[in-house]
Amino acid sequence: MGLLRFVSVRLLRGLLTLWFAVTVTFFLVRLLPGDPALAVASPTMTADQRAQMLSDFGLDEPLLVQYATYLGQLAQGNLGISFRQNAPVLDILLERLPWTLLLTGSSLVVTLIVGVPLAVAAARRQGSALDRAVQVGGVVGQALFVPTVGIFLLYVFGVWLGWLPIGGAMASDVYGVAAYGSILAHLVLPGLSLVLLQLGPYVLFLRTSLIEALSEDYTNVARSKGVSETKVVWVHALRNALLPTVTLVGLQLGFLVGGSVLTETIFAYPGIGRAIYESVGQLDFPVMQGAFVLLAATVVVANLLTDLMYGLLDPRVRQT
Amino acid sequence: MGSTTGRAARTLAMSVGLSALVLAGCVPSNPDAPGEDSADGTGGSGQQAEDTTLNIGTTADVVNYNPLVGNSRTDTWVTNLMYPHMMTLDDSGQKVPALATDWGYSEDGTTAWVEIRDDMEWTDGEALDADDVVFTIDAIQAEQIGTVAGMIGAYESAEAVSPTRVEFTLSRPDGAFLTSVGFWMPVVPEHIFGEVESVAEFANDSDWVSAGPFVLSTVERGQRYVLEAVDNYPLVESGTPNVDEVVFSVYPDVNTEVLALRSGELDLIGNALPPAVAEQLSSDESVELYTVPSLGWAHMQYNMRRPPLDDVDVRRALAHAVDYEAIRQVVLGGNAISADSSVLTPVFEQWQDGLDLEEYAYDPEQSRQLLEDAGYSEEDLTFEMIYDQADPMISTWAELVRDQSAEAGITIELAGLERNTYLSRTADRDFDIYAGSWAVIDEPQSNFSLLFAPDGFINYAGVEDAEINELMEEASTALSPEDAKEPLQEIARIVHDQVYDNVMYVEQFNFAASSNWTGFEPKPSDLLSLVNPQSLAQASSG
Amino acid sequence: MSIIPPSGTAEDAREGMRTEAVSPRSRTWRAFVRNPFGLVSLAVLFLIVAVALAAPLIAGEPGGYSADVLAPPSAEHWLGTDNIGRDVYNQIVWGARTSLAVGLGASALAIVLGAAVGIGAAYFRRLDTPLGMLIDVMLSLPILPLMILVAALAGPSISTLVVVIAVFSWPEVARVVRSQALPVVDLTYVNAAHVIGAPNRWVLLRHVLPAVTPVIVVSVVLTASRAVLSEAGLSFLGLGDPSSWSWGTILYNAQRSGVLASAWWTALFPSLAILLLVVAATLTSLAYNDARNPRTRGDSAR
Repeated sequence: MGLLRFVSVRLLRGLLTLWFAVTVTFFLVRLLPGDPALAVASPTMTADQRAQMLSDFGLDEPLLVQYATYLGQLAQGNLGISFRQNAPVLDILLERLPWTLLLTGSSLVVTLIVGVPLAVAAARRQGSALDRAVQVGGVVGQALFVPTVGIFLLYVFGVWLGWLPIGGAMASDVYGVAAYGSILAHLVLPGLSLVLLQLGPYVLFLRTSLIEALSEDYTNVARSKGVSETKVVWVHALRNALLPTVTLVGLQLGFLVGGSVLTETIFAYPGIGRAIYESVGQLDFPVMQGAFVLLAATVVVANLLTDLMYGLLDPRVRQT
Repeated sequence: MGSTTGRAARTLAMSVGLSALVLAGCVPSNPDAPGEDSADGTGGSGQQAEDTTLNIGTTADVVNYNPLVGNSRTDTWVTNLMYPHMMTLDDSGQKVPALATDWGYSEDGTTAWVEIRDDMEWTDGEALDADDVVFTIDAIQAEQIGTVAGMIGAYESAEAVSPTRVEFTLSRPDGAFLTSVGFWMPVVPEHIFGEVESVAEFANDSDWVSAGPFVLSTVERGQRYVLEAVDNYPLVESGTPNVDEVVFSVYPDVNTEVLALRSGELDLIGNALPPAVAEQLSSDESVELYTVPSLGWAHMQYNMRRPPLDDVDVRRALAHAVDYEAIRQVVLGGNAISADSSVLTPVFEQWQDGLDLEEYAYDPEQSRQLLEDAGYSEEDLTFEMIYDQADPMISTWAELVRDQSAEAGITIELAGLERNTYLSRTADRDFDIYAGSWAVIDEPQSNFSLLFAPDGFINYAGVEDAEINELMEEASTALSPEDAKEPLQEIARIVHDQVYDNVMYVEQFNFAASSNWTGFEPKPSDLLSLVNPQSLAQASSG
Repeated sequence: MSIIPPSGTAEDAREGMRTEAVSPRSRTWRAFVRNPFGLVSLAVLFLIVAVALAAPLIAGEPGGYSADVLAPPSAEHWLGTDNIGRDVYNQIVWGARTSLAVGLGASALAIVLGAAVGIGAAYFRRLDTPLGMLIDVMLSLPILPLMILVAALAGPSISTLVVVIAVFSWPEVARVVRSQALPVVDLTYVNAAHVIGAPNRWVLLRHVLPAVTPVIVVSVVLTASRAVLSEAGLSFLGLGDPSSWSWGTILYNAQRSGVLASAWWTALFPSLAILLLVVAATLTSLAYNDARNPRTRGDSAR
């Protein structure tokens, strides 16, 4: 029953993370200087609307009562009303969530597909020109300022070469297969910039883990048994190096999802990140809060999935 | 291959599968998918292949589909295409017929009448008639909706004496009543808006009915707003719009919009271009630039409820501390003309003759002298200046104003605010110095009372001047421009002399469209510009 | 940015303390020097700091305006001018001051918080589970949206930026410090010191702190450079301090005036400055970590 216990521990931890995210936002908004009513009620709302929101979220009650009310409202899916758009925050964000999932999910997959062979190649020839190039490349990728890179990519591929569209997630008059093509075409540039940004951490991490694994006893044993070096690397070392990498995926998810703010903004991609950008300009606090809570929930769910994968991968987990 | 690699491969396969799932999850939400098309437009559908689409870029979503309430630029652009106004502007800013064909006042000025077209109808088949006009103005007055409510102080009642004629009863003569209502008031369908409990709170966010050239059919928030052409739009010669579809696409900022225009993804950028961008695009042959004048002005106002700003010497010192020519040349790239520091700006040609006002000269020494003579020291002279930080022009010149005022020993603290905060602080008159701009001041006769009457809706500075009040009374009851000239010029002189309003410039807006498109009819102000109904209905490509 | 490459392992720490012949520090230094990235990137870091310190000597104070609007790079304006004719070179040189100040300020604060939590978790075993959990949870959250929310609530200013960035950067430091401190706490003689009744403070100062100092040094550099990147991101979104010059402010101005693509110099050069700083800081710490780790150091491989 090791797996069941493993899963329930992870589930509990996910819930804890979510609770923490929600609690942090709640207290930040209320304890920072400024009008706490701003968290739920806009100065431009009508008096009735304002009173309704204030009482929905119990703003006239003591802090702990407010907190309980807030959790209760969240549990019912009430993230408040957008100041600017006059619509429930959850509705606004759920329209946008699929695009963010698509963008971040696909860029993660591409990162791993490109990153693993690069790391293996670098680790096998430690100190070679290739190794150095991979290290520098990984480091440079992390240091890129996304909007500048984004404008450059848009200019080259959108205007100059004219191969790819400039903004949005899909064209308006496309159907069936063409719709998939359009979605893909719109995905390429923002996806590419996210891949560039996060390839570095994975490659560098995996490279170091591989180098360590290659000097471990078990790889030496495998070599002494006459196993080919390719197999030693790709099978014995990689398998052990991949496990911590799966953990890294979990750690990096928050960064990846958070990084979508700048990426979606510059590429005019209609995801949650751009909703955050727009809400900043309008000080639309309920949308900012809701977006964070929803993104945190996304990360929690994705982490649960990676944990499960980890459990399936790692014999120690399966057997205990 | 060992079982271990198999597992690693499986991990990868799982991730790929996961993202395919996500992808699959996205597509059903595609509102363009066949069968889900909710288009209720009258033209277009079924002939996708030959459809012509005009793609317009904007930087904001539509927030409010109720034309009487909406306030952002995008709101106005979209609703203007569906809810007609009785009058529009010609390219020199004069009121010309749109829905209305003719209008006038009775001899004593207490009744007004307007004739409207008989060939307009809503897209659901109902005729647009005088009852709709009466319904709209009554709803605005009853619920005090929007800026129009502030312009119809003289309005008492209206009657549809025939399907094409409305007569208004006024409590006092008001020479600007018809043109204000005619230009500003969108006419809404009584058979829809009359069914709801409160017109002001009606969201109007689905099943749109239009009497303009286009009707909203699909909304994808954060992405695009699709409007389809109607069959019958008599306000253009062809009787129907040239394009089948107008699409407003939402971009985060002008940077991506410009790239999209250059790549051909957009045909037109709705927003006014920053001067630097206009300059860069002027050498691009695939892009056509259009210039239209603003009908308003940019200005600073000094809150006279707060000493020492109640002292005219302090206001004069502030006015002489800023180099307005530098602001126009550098920040606006020369796309602005001096207003001679006068509220009767050169846009009002008919009232210029004999006005002879001069712009406040940039002279920090004079400012220092004024302050010294009036007995102020530098400690007294710290002011907070508020402005909308999203306005790229004002937030740029605000820095110049701060730096230049410092030369005159005046400390200005900049407070660039989010738009709603800015609006609510101006409404509460909670500022020392206010920097902003009016989009359209089209009727000085009536608008001046909004600006300078003690209870004026936008009298931010707190002007209370008995002489001005008398002159405004005189001007507003004048039924011809000639009669209004004397009092209006006198008001402008007092405002200039007392620095009640520091008018800095009148902007020239630049708009860009693809040179593949012709037939646009640019109109003054960035509210109408290239995206006004006639212009979009006449535009054609190729 | 959240990933600091894995640093020295537990064996590393133990080995370092056992081997007396060549001190671990000098061995690390030799390996660091051997790595071609190490010295070069360290020199670049020093150069950037020097530029910031010498700003008044090597560049005019930015500000004001000139008629020379959006001039491309030329002999007169090395890096061109912006939308109201201000020299971009001057802005970048002076911007280095604000950007580095924000970076170092946020880094210092994050280090103090992170080191305290990290050492606390490693040393006081009862705290390890809750603190470890806290670190993991904080690390997994999408931090940028949270920073945006807080910065928007607190209003734009330099001190807001410093605090916001620091408050969300410490978990990374804590994670690294904790993993470095754990094996040291386990060492027999530290346990022995405990048994003979040495006070906690003495054990912490004498044994634990020296052991974690190297990772802290690396963290300062790395956290500071990432704080600069965060500052640029927040400023670009309009949450920077409008009354000061930083690299992020220059980028924000370029975006606001709509010339990101056409006047490429207004965006490219500040981005390059950021890139240079972050790359140099990351390569320095990578080279340092590689040099400390006997396996990646390469002497066992050769």
